[in-house]
Order: sequence, then C-alpha cells, then structure tokens
Amino acid sequence: MGELAVSSEADDELLTIGLGSCIGVAVVDRARSVAGLAHVMLPDAAAAPNAPEGKFADTAIPALIAASEQLGARRVRLEAVMVGGAQMFEVGVGSALDIGARNAVAVRAALAKARIPLRAAETGGRRGRTMRLHVGAMTVTVKEAGGREVELWSAPSGQRWNAEAVSR
Amino acid sequence: MTTYSDLQLDAMRELANIGSGNAATALASMLGREVELSVPRALALPLADAVDAVGPADKTVSSVVLPIFGDINALVLLLFPTEDAATLCGLLGVEAGTEVGDSAIGEIGNILGTSYINALAMMASLAIEPRPPHVVTDMLGAIVATLLAETVGETDSALVLDTGLAVAGVECELSFLLLPTSGGIAELLGRLGVGNA
Repeated sequence: MGELAVSSEADDELLTIGLGSCIGVAVVDRARSVAGLAHVMLPDAAAAPNAPEGKFADTAIPALIAASEQLGARRVRLEAVMVGGAQMFEVGVGSALDIGARNAVAVRAALAKARIPLRAAETGGRRGRTMRLHVGAMTVTVKEAGGREVELWSAPSGQRWNAEAVSR
Repeated sequence: MTTYSDLQLDAMRELANIGSGNAATALASMLGREVELSVPRALALPLADAVDAVGPADKTVSSVVLPIFGDINALVLLLFPTEDAATLCGLLGVEAGTEVGDSAIGEIGNILGTSYINALAMMASLAIEPRPPHVVTDMLGAIVATLLAETVGETDSALVLDTGLAVAGVECELSFLLLPTSGGIAELLGRLGVGNA
C-alpha cells in the first residue's frame, strides 16, 4: 500500500496483490521497455505531506512519471492502465463514502493533468483484484479472488514502437 | 509514525484479550464445544506493513465487519479461512456458500462482535454501539487494506489488535481484529489510564 516500483528488466513482473478500494496504476513506455506501477490508497495528499509518494493519487502519478523517466522513459510516450477501486463493503462501514470510486476519479484526473492516455481500466464492482504488469511482454493481467488470471491490456501488435527508429 | 509505549501496548493486548475471551464464551455456548483463545497481538505498524502482518494478501477469506460508533469509532473484523467458515456452517447445520450460510456467518459475526464490543465498553467505560454486520468473501489483502483506508488512511500508521479463536475437536479457527480510527486509539488509551495527555 502506498508503494511504487519501476523496472526495465524484461524478466520482471510488477504486481499488487489484493486491491480493494485501492488502485493499481501502471505507466509504460513501450519503446524503451520501461514500466512502473503505483499502489494508490486515497485520492489526495493534502492532509499528509510526508506520506509515501505512491499513497495518494495526486502525488503518485507525478512520482511514477519521474521514476520512469529515470529509467529512460520519455514522458510523451507514456501510456497508462488502471485497476481497482472496488466498493467491497456497502457505504457506511467506515466514516468515508465510497473511497474506491473517489480513488478512480482522482487517478483519472491526475493522468489527464499529466496528459498520459489511459489505454485500459477495470475499476469499480465489489471484488478485490490482483494486478500484474509483465515488463518484457508489456501486458497487464488481472485476477479476482478465486478467479482466473485475465489479460486486460497488451501492446497492440504491429504498433509496437521501434526503439532504433525512434532514437534516430 | 505513531509509536506506543510497552505499557500502552500491554493495555491494548489486555483489552483484546478480555474482548475476545467474552466472544469465545459466546461461541462455546452457541456450539456446545470448547473454544481456545490465543495470546493477542497488538501491532503498531506503518500502513504498508499492517496488511502483511495480518496474513497472506492473496488468501481468500470470509469476513464479517462490524462498525462501532459512539465514544470511539472503530471496526471489528472477524476473519475465517473459507474452509473453516464452511466447517462452522456445518456445525450449525446450514450449507456454506448459500444465502443461508452467509446469513449464519453474519449472525455469528454479529454475536461474537457484540460480545467483544460489550467487554470493551465495560472495561473502558465507553458508550458504543454496533451497526449491522457486512459479510464479504474476498482476498485478505483487499479486505484489510480497504478497511484501513477507511479508518486510518489519512495517517501513516495502523494499530491492529489481533486474537485467534479455535474450536476444539474440529478444524475451525477465526481471528478477531479491532481497527480503531486514529482518534479512537487516543480515546481508548485515555480511558484505560495510559493516555499520552
């Protein structure tokens, strides 16, 4: 929870196990094979300036972009996928209203502000999810409790950036 | 991160012990079997570690959540491994995974949770009352993280009081978690005479 990781190792998998109202946000630069994943817990950081940078939607997206750029990603090529934001319990369990839905809105807003296109999203519902980002294959898979692992997004074939052509 | 003294953690463990002891008595009389109680843990942890401390995040569990409102706000969470929830349903003569089974689990959660809360209220002289239980079967990590986001999400640390109950003679264990809100922790410590003020 609140954590953030980036990788450019083809064998790596970035994953968040058990996303409930939390949201897993992935950003990838396919040309450079750089991928990053943040585990967002709440919409905004106003109340907690010293929190882990992945914890709040409004700070997680800029932190994710910066960390990806450090591994060689280009901001203009970044694409995003988001998963989570379920409402696992009926409203009224805690003090707050549906945190999952608010998280989803905040993540979309933060991505839009950073001008990163959202390629795929699986949010809402009542079930917890595990999200897996396969760095080498550049695919995102999602699994619900007791369910099968399903591919949510993969880099479109034939449209894969050619790294050499881009850098020339 | 908020830290607590040994004295404060001891007081919280004692609270969890008395609460779950009361719940164990209720469960024993309901089932007509002995119920064993583990030594409670009081875990004060950064949020990111709190989920892992409770158990494997990808394990599917049945849970009952009982919100408490009043002098303190908190959540009481009962967790059953799914097989053990089925065993419990069997002991009560209902079929697990059906509407009746879920309702039985919710009712057990209600009875155990309110026994726990009553003991807490007596010991710390609190006026608190429970809201109706919610039953959810899902990944442990998703359940605990969602509840922590709602109770102590704005802070960087969680206090989790954890006790295990085991029904004698069958494979049936459950654990009891008390997740107070940040204000609830301070209030509890104050009422127990080990506050920071």
